[in-house]
Amino acid sequence: MKQSLRQSMSVLHTWSGLIVGWLLFAIFLTGTCAYFQEEITKWMQPELTTHADSDLAAINAVEYLQETAPDAQTWFIGLPDDRKATTRLFWRPGENADPSAPTRAVLDGQGAAAEIRDTQGGFFLYRFHFDLHYMPAILARYLVGIAAMTMLIAIISGVITHKKIFIDFFTLRFGKGQRSWLDAHNMSAVFALPFFLMITYTGLVTLASMYMPFAITANYKSAGDFFQEAFFSPDNASPSGMPAEMAPMSDILRVAAQRWDGAKVGDIRIISPNDENAIVVLRRSTSEAIGDRSPQIILNGVTGALIKASPDQSAALATESFFVGLHAGRYADWGLRWLYFLSGLGGATMIGTGLVLWTNKRALKNQKAGKTPFGFWLVERLNIATLVGLPAGLAVFFLANRLLPLDMENRSDWEINFLFIVWAGAFVWAAGRPARRAWAEMLGLSGGMFLLVPIVNAATTSRNLFVSLGNGDWVFAGFDAAMLFFASAFGYAAFKCLKVKRPAPRPVLNKRAGLPAE
Amino acid sequence: MNVVENTFASLWPWVRRRRMTARIMAAVPGNYVLTALLTACIARLLPAPPADASMTALLLSFLIFPALAIAIFSVRSVVRIWIYIGAAIAAFSVLLFVSLSAGGRL
Repeated sequence: MKQSLRQSMSVLHTWSGLIVGWLLFAIFLTGTCAYFQEEITKWMQPELTTHADSDLAAINAVEYLQETAPDAQTWFIGLPDDRKATTRLFWRPGENADPSAPTRAVLDGQGAAAEIRDTQGGFFLYRFHFDLHYMPAILARYLVGIAAMTMLIAIISGVITHKKIFIDFFTLRFGKGQRSWLDAHNMSAVFALPFFLMITYTGLVTLASMYMPFAITANYKSAGDFFQEAFFSPDNASPSGMPAEMAPMSDILRVAAQRWDGAKVGDIRIISPNDENAIVVLRRSTSEAIGDRSPQIILNGVTGALIKASPDQSAALATESFFVGLHAGRYADWGLRWLYFLSGLGGATMIGTGLVLWTNKRALKNQKAGKTPFGFWLVERLNIATLVGLPAGLAVFFLANRLLPLDMENRSDWEINFLFIVWAGAFVWAAGRPARRAWAEMLGLSGGMFLLVPIVNAATTSRNLFVSLGNGDWVFAGFDAAMLFFASAFGYAAFKCLKVKRPAPRPVLNKRAGLPAE
Repeated sequence: MNVVENTFASLWPWVRRRRMTARIMAAVPGNYVLTALLTACIARLLPAPPADASMTALLLSFLIFPALAIAIFSVRSVVRIWIYIGAAIAAFSVLLFVSLSAGGRL
């Protein structure tokens, strides 16, 4: 029983891909959406139309914080920019603060209080792609890390398995049953192979110290010491207890503008505000360079004088910063951002077609044996529920944003709950129907949900597709157009699924793809 | 003779499953322990400031792990895999122990 390298790689690829496939699909799909998280958030906050002005927002945000939480321990201000429409505030309340009082606020792009619906927007999709939902973030990050490492191994073993993968790239045979699925799997895999390797590896790097803490414990007593040294954070400034008047924010911004030749400020942290020892930490916007660990400066909060600036990164630290930046793509302009998005969709396609291929390859054997093992049944149903049910859930997430009452309690949580209700419902539906019918019905339902998004948007806001096009509002127009695109793609798939007859059983020869007969 | 062959054949799936389990144990937990030790050794021994050495080791660890996993699945003999892994774990443990006892950093 000779086992060749490619055979053992094929086993590795097939099974490692299967066990994490659905989770990876969900991570890829939501992570891909996260490349447009700010645009999605804009769409999900339709009442906001103000033009963003970062400097004005910073000045007004401080004013807001002075009124709302003057005795807080720390203020944090995330500034708006061309992509971000809102100013996001968090604060760590002072010791005497009312524990039930809010510790965050969303202001408009100029730092003025605004009536904005309660939504997490695209930020939820970003968070979900590594923190998942309904579970502790730490547990989720381990699960995601295991899935990502498995993906990295599945990619490498996949390339070894499909020896002729690069030649097969130029082959896409339609309407040939399993052969077409394999072609689609190979083509989506090769199309963005460097992207998949890059995104999986850099994704692991973003949470590296959690997955491989021994690199740090070998040299440091505590991880905190390492982060302090590697990522530059201000020395602990304990408040003196002596109140003092803060330097005006406009002066502080001027120091930053001088330091960074007018580059945008991304966020501002004010530690011990209104205290003699107050310090202000400014971080340059991550949209300014690929590296995600942006330079920072620390200023005296009372005098406004520069205390220190983050040093130039060493090669190792700059490399890590580069990898994280490459993963998050915050630096990317529109062209590159779309390329990221399309590559991400390619990744979801590769995972999805791979999962379908697993069932297709075994369907024939089951047909001959005249019985369906439970494992096969489960994989087939999970495929339907995740590959089609999750996209439907995303569409319903957007619909819920428009349809839930604005004064609803925990409104933003319910938007998210609806996503998972649809996803779980898709599984229940798939479990009770013949597979092929369930595919067609779920595809049709997803298409319908996506079609509803721009329609409901037009019915509930004044910013419908035609108005957006007329105003040159590319975020809204692009979002609605993307929904229509997905609606037609799912609709077409549903149509094909109903129309295509299952090909008559025949032995499948995969000599060209070098697949072992199973 | 026939009896022996039949017995072996009936046992074969069991033997094969055991071998796959042993391989997976090598490729995941065994691999993780080995990667962790190797990563810690790199972090200790790389002639660079500690933060840089730790970061370099961290970035390398995510290449070491998949490379080892692939290697473990490509070597045919499971026994040989475990001998290699055991030897490597022992060697890097000693190296790390010596480095930690010698002090410095930390």
